[in-house]
Amino acid sequence: MTHLVLPNSGHNRDPEANKMGMWLFLFTEILLFGGLFIVYFVYRSINSDAFLHASYQLNVTIGTINTIILITSSMTVAMSITALQKGNLKLSLILLWITQIFALAFLVNKYFEWGAKIDHGIFPGMAHYAEMASGEKLYFFLYFFMTGLHAVHIIIGGIFIAVVMKKMKEGKVTSERISLLENSGLYWHLVDLIWIYLFPLFYLIH
Amino acid sequence: MSAITSELNFFQVKKGIFSWLFTLDHKRIGLMYLYAILSFFLIGVVLGLLMRLELIAPGETIMKPKTYNQVFTLHGVIMIFLFIIPSIPAIFGNFFLPIMLGTDDVAFPKLNLLSWYLYVGGAIFALMTLVVGDGPADTGWTFYAPYSVQTGTNVTLAVLAAFILGFSSILTGLNFIVTIHRLRAPGMGWFEMPLFSWALYATSWIQLLATPVVGITLLMVIAERVFGVGLFDPSIGGDPILYQHLFWIYSHPAVYIMALPAMGIISEMIPTFANRTIFGYKAIAYSGMAIAFVGYFVWGHHMFTSGMSGSARIVFSIMTFLVAIPTAIKVFNWVATLYKGSIDLQPPLLYALAFIFQFLIGGLTGLVVGALAADVHLHDTYFVVGHFHYVMFGGTGFAFFGALHYWFPKIWGKMYNIKRAKIAFSFFFVGFNMLYFPMLILGLMGMPRRYYDYLPEFTNLNVISTVGSWVLAIGLIMMLWNLIQGWRNGTKAGRNPWGGITLEWQTKSPPPLENFDKMPVLNEGGPYNFKTK
Amino acid sequence: MSEEKQHIVSYKEHFGTWAGLIILTIMTVAVSVANASLLTLTVVTALTIATTKAILVAYWYMHLKFEKKIYRIMLGIVMLLFVNFMLLTIIDYSTR
Repeated sequence: MTHLVLPNSGHNRDPEANKMGMWLFLFTEILLFGGLFIVYFVYRSINSDAFLHASYQLNVTIGTINTIILITSSMTVAMSITALQKGNLKLSLILLWITQIFALAFLVNKYFEWGAKIDHGIFPGMAHYAEMASGEKLYFFLYFFMTGLHAVHIIIGGIFIAVVMKKMKEGKVTSERISLLENSGLYWHLVDLIWIYLFPLFYLIH
Repeated sequence: MSAITSELNFFQVKKGIFSWLFTLDHKRIGLMYLYAILSFFLIGVVLGLLMRLELIAPGETIMKPKTYNQVFTLHGVIMIFLFIIPSIPAIFGNFFLPIMLGTDDVAFPKLNLLSWYLYVGGAIFALMTLVVGDGPADTGWTFYAPYSVQTGTNVTLAVLAAFILGFSSILTGLNFIVTIHRLRAPGMGWFEMPLFSWALYATSWIQLLATPVVGITLLMVIAERVFGVGLFDPSIGGDPILYQHLFWIYSHPAVYIMALPAMGIISEMIPTFANRTIFGYKAIAYSGMAIAFVGYFVWGHHMFTSGMSGSARIVFSIMTFLVAIPTAIKVFNWVATLYKGSIDLQPPLLYALAFIFQFLIGGLTGLVVGALAADVHLHDTYFVVGHFHYVMFGGTGFAFFGALHYWFPKIWGKMYNIKRAKIAFSFFFVGFNMLYFPMLILGLMGMPRRYYDYLPEFTNLNVISTVGSWVLAIGLIMMLWNLIQGWRNGTKAGRNPWGGITLEWQTKSPPPLENFDKMPVLNEGGPYNFKTK
Repeated sequence: MSEEKQHIVSYKEHFGTWAGLIILTIMTVAVSVANASLLTLTVVTALTIATTKAILVAYWYMHLKFEKKIYRIMLGIVMLLFVNFMLLTIIDYSTR
């Protein structure tokens, strides 16, 4: 049975639509974290001394290293797109592997940072946390919530890139059909962007 | 290329439950939403009728106070998140947006199906609160801290339901925005698009940008319940009012998610039944975008008595008055379209006229509570309950049922009994106003809302209101019964029973799978240019 | 459907963006370590540097500079919206 085929059919492949869809999704992520940033700013404005004092407990060096890790991983994923566009599948995949390694390194650092805090009983519900000043409790609640949610997004981004890598090896993502790789890159850059704001707001108050 | 007629309509191409549950056809997805949404709506109606039964007399009538709190909470959660917010976009937007744009599906059909599953999942979570643990949440659908983080009822489950439903809404909005940008028919620019499409565009941006804020806020509530300490806890320097800010940053724009698609429906029905082009097409298109934009900045008017600063209250009150302006422009343009039109008083037009009358009352009473001094007396009284039911039910609800009567012949290819539809409408209309108008008076007299009891002097108006709810229920049952009979035994409907000129009236009733059997032809001179007929 | 030739950002341009980001990172750490007081100014400085980094990431890594104008408009409106949410909320707290 045959049927009418429209020129503006939704079944046509449309990379522009995919790109727009991804950007729209990124807007929702911005607003999602945005709610937390609003909470942060309100509470910092009415608890500024407590926030300053609490921030001394974070390790600026690890934070800076993590920032550099994410910035570099953004570069490698952007370069992997360049590589695939130029037809260099192998280089593109290597760059994506490097991106994944950086992502893992970030998470390992986070694990140690959180671990150090939890060992000292600084976590909502634990003993040392209960003894802290009230504004400091807010700071740490926000710290764990926001960096935790961010880490979840790193994991999601990592999985997304892994899926794209598989499809590249299968020949389903190519220089002609590069939409999925570009969109996974966009998602990864968003994860980087969120950290670009988290870092100074939690680590660099003084 | 030559057009080839599609013999089968979209119902006939594949049969069996799995061909529906795994469909990618936007029309089937729209209908799956319809069946789910109507079912949950009826549950919400029953809860509402139970509330009115409790309130027919002072004192305890049929339920304890805590039960009453749970009933009005679940009534609100179901009506707002399961009915009003999704109904018009997910049902009629899904079914008709692609057809009205002259294309064969939305931009992301698989995402569309996912949205439906998220809707059903969220609904199941919401209804589960009825049967597990300490019963449904008793916080009101607004889940205000600190009570929502302390009460033993199923707040976490209810809030998770809202979170999941939020994602359904976000993804639908995303899908529609890309569809409108990328899939319009050749030659259909932005200002040749139907006004329903403009309304959905504005709505989709609100769905996309506002919903994540309430999503994260609800997660914060869950976190506070889980950890016993949290971001709205005053004992650690937190502020419960901040919860209200974050909650209403979404929930006020949410009412425009409810209102804008309804207004889009009215903008479709009035030209068709006045047989005239719409007055002020661009004004209606732009005013919808203006409502969406300004509507983001008025949320504090829900918080005038909460302890917010005086300056903030003034700012929010001013913004609230501003957002009324584009709304009024629409009402003016609809009435101007009817003036000297060739009026065909069919059931859909009856619903549209009721919408204009009821939305006007709702909107004007909104301005009353938007005024700071008046709100001090009226906040949390029945005046507010009357106000929002007039806009959400008398407005959006009526537009929804109007759309159902308008597009019924196109969807199912049959026509219902017109006379019975008009009689059902009369009961519906009279019952609605009997139910809600007394609330405006009761509120002015000082009766508080969300109470299972009241002072004896409020009794008479409460009795009228409850009787009104029964008349409304009769009208609703008559209406649905008539439509079901039309579906089963109605006369066959042609392509264009009403004489509309938007693209959906060019195709077969029901439409074929790919929406059109002949290449759609755009109207010269604009989408509502009736002169070309 | 045929597409125009894709715009390819060179490896060198990506590396240049990276260098800019690293410099800004060092700056923001240095500013905070140096300034023990002046909390408000530190926030403003930190946010300005962070926003500069964000623009670099968005415009080059995310290709926004080379996309159709509509994307920059959309992002602009989204950021405007968010900033206004923040502003209106802070008005409450700062005038209590």
